[in-house]
Amino acid sequence: MLKVEELTKHFHTSSGTVHSVDGISLTVSKGETLGLVGESGCGKTTTGRTIIRLYEPDSGHIIFGGHDITHITQREMLPFRKRLQMIFQDPYASLNPRMTAGDIIREPMTIHRIPKDEHSDRVNHLLKLVGLNTEQAGRYPHEFSGGQRQRIGIARALAAEPEMIICDEPISALDVSIQAQIVNMLEDLQKSLGLTYLFIAHDLSMVRHISTRVAVMYLGSIVETAPSDELYTNPLHPYTVSLLSSVPIPDPEKSSQRKIIPLKGEIPSAINQPSGCKFHTRCPNAKPECESLAPVLQDKGNNHFCACPFV
Amino acid sequence: MNDEILRVENLRTTFTTSAGEVKAVDGVSFTVKRGEVLGIAGESGSGKSATMLSIMGLLGEAGRAEYGRLDFMGENLTPESVKSLRGDKIAMVFQDPMTSLNPVLSVGYQLEESLRRHNWQGNIHERVAEMMTRVGIVPAAERMRHYPHEFSGGQRQRLMIAMSILCGPELLIADEPTTALDVTVQAQILGLLREIRRDSGMSMILITHDLGVIAGEADRVIVMYGGRVMEEGTAREIFGSPMHPYTRGLLRSVPKPDSPRERLIPIEGQPPDLLNPPEGCPFVKRCNEAMRICLHRKPEALTLSETHKYSCWLGVKD
Repeated sequence: MLKVEELTKHFHTSSGTVHSVDGISLTVSKGETLGLVGESGCGKTTTGRTIIRLYEPDSGHIIFGGHDITHITQREMLPFRKRLQMIFQDPYASLNPRMTAGDIIREPMTIHRIPKDEHSDRVNHLLKLVGLNTEQAGRYPHEFSGGQRQRIGIARALAAEPEMIICDEPISALDVSIQAQIVNMLEDLQKSLGLTYLFIAHDLSMVRHISTRVAVMYLGSIVETAPSDELYTNPLHPYTVSLLSSVPIPDPEKSSQRKIIPLKGEIPSAINQPSGCKFHTRCPNAKPECESLAPVLQDKGNNHFCACPFV
Repeated sequence: MNDEILRVENLRTTFTTSAGEVKAVDGVSFTVKRGEVLGIAGESGSGKSATMLSIMGLLGEAGRAEYGRLDFMGENLTPESVKSLRGDKIAMVFQDPMTSLNPVLSVGYQLEESLRRHNWQGNIHERVAEMMTRVGIVPAAERMRHYPHEFSGGQRQRLMIAMSILCGPELLIADEPTTALDVTVQAQILGLLREIRRDSGMSMILITHDLGVIAGEADRVIVMYGGRVMEEGTAREIFGSPMHPYTRGLLRSVPKPDSPRERLIPIEGQPPDLLNPPEGCPFVKRCNEAMRICLHRKPEALTLSETHKYSCWLGVKD
């Protein structure tokens, strides 16, 4: 469905070049959910936005459904936008406050030239599909709760009948009890509509729950990728090991038994990135050669790839 | 009891808004013992932050707090006395370390100022350097001259912790102290708070929506919803044998550590509407075990053990 090869996106700022996405490669197969995790500033959101061409990629290739969409014009991009949609983190900022829920959901239909006489029926159908009722079509975003707003955002993404959705932190702004509603709904929609997801998030236990496979990013690079259960039960990269050991467990006994492998310091600046392996400045197992040796993803078996030669 | 640091009885807090009167806290009672960590779990609108702001006298003009009793270390806490205790014997750490620091003053100046305001008897500069070193901001002498923007989010939260422990507080109220931070930094900050507690014997109230953080840090937990305490118990009681339908629902909403792929069971419905709260239990509209009585009457707390209580009509035998 989606193949990304050596994708690079740098931002030029007054203080230097930010290497947000630094040559990442990934594939997402039809019907699966690829989880993309990492801490703030690792480039996961930029990756999603570059794939959907909200940002212009600097180099590399984005191949969607067999077509190279890396450098096509925005007009040529339009039919691919119909097939590849996005939902955003902030259900407060991503909906136009002056449009009704119905108009928000109808807009993609106009853009993608879906016959006008079908619009109303489809808006009603989509509202029901995301668990809202059709009487709510005339209301404005501020009349809805955060969870309901995220449902409107999902209905808008579905309005174009996409094959794939990039979900950028779709639940992090929501309360715990509402998060489960949205996650279940995304899972149900995936089954009934055959959707493919790229699920970008920092909540590692929710990512494990929803993803088929998971890719871990650190400072613009993917350091490890594996099927979800394999990654969480058998993490190989020292960064993944430490990251997973830091995830709070909602069980006091398990929590007191496990050992957190702390990381030194904090994520370095994306402007002056460390040489060699970018993780060597914080790695508990760093060796002298890590300062110069830039590791690549190596096949460790079981569809498990890791960018550390010492594991 | 002299091992009781804080006692709150029947706290009620209302805010006057243009849309009407909001009952943010509706009859909350709890205690904090010396050296213990009380976790307050709740979602937006549960009243967990309003509870703490009420105790600290930081509600602002729109808010009004009433209580049956409010004692700190055996003394009655009045709006006047809390002012002198704030930042001294009772300290607070908030979620957002960026907005809690003044961007145009060096951090050393701000920390020293805090000690001056509390008439610190001793070398102010040395005390600040000591506490900055304690939280891992080194070399302290040099870092004191830096401004807030020269620190990362995690370091700013360390600075806030340094500021909060300057006067050696008996009680630290931490309101979502790690919510804005990444998990690896969160683990560092929680570890730091644990070390400080171990060394000083300080008590802590940890307010968070993150059940994992509560499970890892709290000795006892209160679960709030719609301004009321739904359940109270030791961490083991709350996570091991939750009784209230809301607590059980909350725990089913997050992936289980043992079977992370199992389908989640959400709590249906929307967060509570504080402007039009139900007459009875605040959770009634979202509770799938609700009965007729739940609509009209607020349940009293039922006692299961010395530590475990919950407020639900389901447990009342007729």
